[in-house]
Amino acid sequence: MNIYITGIGVISAIGLNVQENYQSLKNKKTGIAPIHLLNYKEKLLVGEVKLSNEMLVNHLHVATPISRTSLLGIVAAKEAWGNNQHHQDIRTGLISSTSVGGMDNSEKYYQQKLENPTPDISLITTHDSGDTTERIAKELGISGYINTLSTACSSSANAIMLGARMLQQNKLDRVLIGGSDSLTNFTIEGFKSLMIYSDEWVKPFDEHRKGLNLGEGSGFLLLENEKSISLTKNKPLAILCGWSNAADAYHQTASSPDGKGATLAIQQALKKANLKPSDISYINAHGTGTSNNDLSESVALKNVFKENIPPFSSTKAYTGHTLAASGTIEAVYAVLALQHQIILPNLNYSTPISETMLIPEVEWKINQEINTVLSNSFGFGGNNSTIILKKA
Amino acid sequence: MYILDHRCISPQPTFNGCFFTGEVKINHGNLYYSIEPDYTDLIPKNLLRRMEKATRVGIGAGIPLLEKYPIIDGIILGTSTGGFSGCVEFLKQIVQYNEGTLTPTNFVQSTPNAVAGILALMSKNRGYNITHTNLGLSFEATLLDAMLLLEENEAKQLLVGAIEETSEYNYNIDSASDFFKEIAVPSTQLLQSNTKGSVRGEGAAMFVVSSKKDNALCELVDVAQFSFPQKNTIQEKVLQFLKKNNTPLAAIDALVLGYNGDNRFDFRYDELAEQFNDTSIFSYKNLIGDSPTANSFALWLSCSILEGKEIPKEVYYKETDKEIKSILIYNHYNNIQHSFILMRSV
Repeated sequence: MNIYITGIGVISAIGLNVQENYQSLKNKKTGIAPIHLLNYKEKLLVGEVKLSNEMLVNHLHVATPISRTSLLGIVAAKEAWGNNQHHQDIRTGLISSTSVGGMDNSEKYYQQKLENPTPDISLITTHDSGDTTERIAKELGISGYINTLSTACSSSANAIMLGARMLQQNKLDRVLIGGSDSLTNFTIEGFKSLMIYSDEWVKPFDEHRKGLNLGEGSGFLLLENEKSISLTKNKPLAILCGWSNAADAYHQTASSPDGKGATLAIQQALKKANLKPSDISYINAHGTGTSNNDLSESVALKNVFKENIPPFSSTKAYTGHTLAASGTIEAVYAVLALQHQIILPNLNYSTPISETMLIPEVEWKINQEINTVLSNSFGFGGNNSTIILKKA
Repeated sequence: MYILDHRCISPQPTFNGCFFTGEVKINHGNLYYSIEPDYTDLIPKNLLRRMEKATRVGIGAGIPLLEKYPIIDGIILGTSTGGFSGCVEFLKQIVQYNEGTLTPTNFVQSTPNAVAGILALMSKNRGYNITHTNLGLSFEATLLDAMLLLEENEAKQLLVGAIEETSEYNYNIDSASDFFKEIAVPSTQLLQSNTKGSVRGEGAAMFVVSSKKDNALCELVDVAQFSFPQKNTIQEKVLQFLKKNNTPLAAIDALVLGYNGDNRFDFRYDELAEQFNDTSIFSYKNLIGDSPTANSFALWLSCSILEGKEIPKEVYYKETDKEIKSILIYNHYNNIQHSFILMRSV
């Protein structure tokens, strides 16, 4: 049974919709810049969405309080949903994911509480991850199967996987899946406390990488089964054919140096897709730019693909690491690679990692034969997920 | 899907089994805290020292099962927020210390998937690992995920469960949402209080589930969820759900309902109960309080009933003579998120 991707939506530091993201990718234009919108004590490098909360609220006509995570999610979810209608014979679900949920509002509340005897307590009603999803569901009128996942940086890759399984097991006919995270002091300080936030531009897969730059945004994809597209007449953009989730079981925040979990995830996704390693045309890597991830992921790529590693790149130097949203934002980019037969460049790279000597693609390459794209997402807690898309 | 085993840490003495000898704790106030076990034999001291409550309660309930069942193909957990106090501790560090490096422990344990990750780490489990965080349907989502995985033949045995923590911090969130009783009543009077609001509990319930019937305690037949119901939605949905599972209304011997004493929303349970004659009804939030994943306790209680354990009289809402071989669990969270679970004896 095929699982069709028929809608895509994205908002990130490099654009407010799919078209804008595509143009920035093509023009090698990064969205990472010194902090501008978020109230933070220093001018750190971040991938901010260039719209304030007020602008988003006015644009979307939604009630407040609402978290920035929900706002970004609604923008991308609406774009992916497009002009689709509800239909009594199409069981439609929503699976979203987030790591910070409404933390942007919660931290405003705690800041106010410190300075003000009567802080705005309504701000913290948006804290729970599930609230983010409920707001998106309401906007789109989805009331059946609604779910939220939170597995840190692999969250939305897991949403893709769960959505695919819900269709395959005939629990749903159509499912909107996505991830959303907003920039917060909480996550910035968190990654700084782990000593993996770079004060320079993120350099995925470079020997001299110094850590990650955080970003924010949301990516959504609409998945449909045969029955659903026979009714909606939607044209497939790509087919989702492989997925896997494996635990690294090595360390709570670091990846294993032998890339065990990542290797398992990639191998199992290939098996699910019934593909050989040599069938993969392009890999969109997790490539966060941390010393640990990029080495572990490189080792995993070598474990699976041996000497014949397909062209690969990380797009984190465009968007920053968008945490829970990265899996679906990058899945949207994978769809673009299949649709336009392109390979996306890895910015800021100059020197291979000495232990593995792998060289990512650094140019925007057109007229490539892209039949399949493999995309990795790895997260805290040793959560490793891989998905594989193929041409429709 | 079959349930092979379970562990439960709750505001009642459920972990040590005293609950079944009639020992029921009466709680006061709006927060019911877990009766935590002595973790000495469960969690290494150096790890325990740095664990926040949600983490140690989750690990405490989960690790004995992972040790007892060497073959576990994945860990699927549900929680609305995970370790929220860790979250706030880290936020406080941020707003209070403008300089210097913060300690990452709170940050690391603040992610909702921390417990599932640590359980995998401690048991070297490299299988499917996921955390569902959909508020009052987080636990139901874990059950459905597990059922799918078993049906797909991707797993034979899984650990599923839920964790919830209560603290002064999520007390603030729930207060802002007008969740609590304004005038506190003891737990013995919670369901009869007839005022708005409820009480908040916490804990962890963990289950080993299998696709095979061998050595099972009971069967979990199906789970269903829906949100934002209209006027007659509950009646329609329960009929649909039972029909899908070839179970007539009369075949249900007992209902386990999520009455929490909030007179704004308890009518939903009455609406459901009205459709059933001659069924026993059990309530449990009068013992453990409400929480987004309180339904994990309902499942644990239902297993215990089907196993034929001696159930304390405090959980009987309506008693009949009928032998209990099938149970329908119905729960809702703030009348927005609703779910059914169908259970059968083996």
